[in-house]
Amino acid sequence: MDLGLFVLLLLVTGGIAGLVGSLTGLGGGVIVIPILVVLFGVDFPTAAGAGLMTILATSSTTGAAYLRERLTDLRIGMFLEIATVPGAIVGSVATVFLAHANLDDALLIALGLVLFAIVPGSISRRGEELPSGVVPDARSQRLGLEGRYHDSALGRDVDYRAAQTDPALGVMFGAGVVSGMFGIGGGVFKVLALERFLRLPMKVATATSNFMIGVTAAAGAGVLLAAGYVNPLVAAPVAIGTAAGAYLGSRILPDLANRTVRLVFLPVLVLLAIEVILRGLGLP
Amino acid sequence: MSAASAAPGPLPEAAYRRMTIVLRVGLGVALAILGGGLVAYLGTHPDATSAQALASNPILGYLGLSGLAAGLAAGSLEAYLTLGLLALLVTPILRVVTGIYFFRAHGERAMSAITLAVLALLLLALLVVGPLIR
Repeated sequence: MDLGLFVLLLLVTGGIAGLVGSLTGLGGGVIVIPILVVLFGVDFPTAAGAGLMTILATSSTTGAAYLRERLTDLRIGMFLEIATVPGAIVGSVATVFLAHANLDDALLIALGLVLFAIVPGSISRRGEELPSGVVPDARSQRLGLEGRYHDSALGRDVDYRAAQTDPALGVMFGAGVVSGMFGIGGGVFKVLALERFLRLPMKVATATSNFMIGVTAAAGAGVLLAAGYVNPLVAAPVAIGTAAGAYLGSRILPDLANRTVRLVFLPVLVLLAIEVILRGLGLP
Repeated sequence: MSAASAAPGPLPEAAYRRMTIVLRVGLGVALAILGGGLVAYLGTHPDATSAQALASNPILGYLGLSGLAAGLAAGSLEAYLTLGLLALLVTPILRVVTGIYFFRAHGERAMSAITLAVLALLLLALLVVGPLIR
């Protein structure tokens, strides 16, 4: 394929991923990675490197809006990064070693399973809009993992405090491994830990997850870039497209029904997951 | 709320404003370099194919700081694209640096130590772990 056409198709892929990602909160990586592997024939660590670059672009594009509304809890996000960053380093190193050992097929099957694991969390979020009866643990109190935001829908300020930091750190380490290994943001897993364990309000969990995804991706992308697994002719167009798509989704089309986009997009994700697993199994 | 009196309270407005600036500038610089570099690359390699692009990693020689500096000085487009990717990567790292500054200024020793550790791990990934497995 002509390089110009290749770059154009990658720009479009990134644009769609950024748009759908910012509208659904799924992040662009889960769309970009399987498409790069299945349709563009990119090898696994290079696809992961490009995926992490697109996540850096998405997180930086959409992060400013969350910061402006003071929804991002910098204290809680930074505290949990102590678990996701080592996870991402482990995950990205594992991807490079598995690819070196010619275990790409195993990586593909694992990616397919991770995509399937993301689906239920994407269909319905069972997090509480405003959790009640939250008991902060000792560490949460010591570090002051609590805050307040103005909920414009409710028209009042909402106070929150973080509970159960131990299991949250465990889940965050796992989310970091998944992020570094497969080049995805792992937002579904991060939001899960923020809502189920720390019991943060949904809006704070979403914004804080967005912040964390960027820092986690920087760890995995750092390893893959320095190890030579980021190909700029793949990563640059996808990252530019994703940033444009995410900007469009967050600024121009914020009212487009989230649920509609999910219902259209999730079957595509399931098909991609099946295709990735079939590739891994060596089936056509 | 009794815990509130002991809690450090919200970070100053300036922390959020500074982080927003870091994000906007970092992303803007990265996208401008990547976009410009990509257009220039396509213009100077009109017959290149996707197979060639996928078979070789054109930035591999520019990953060390000395190689990058030499490549930029020589006007290499590959070095230029590498710089754009680095800018994309450095943006969240600068967010962490901004966090350290504000936690320290806010008198939160434990949080500034945690944030410093996160920064150390990010630099470890980029400067030690990645080059080791190259």
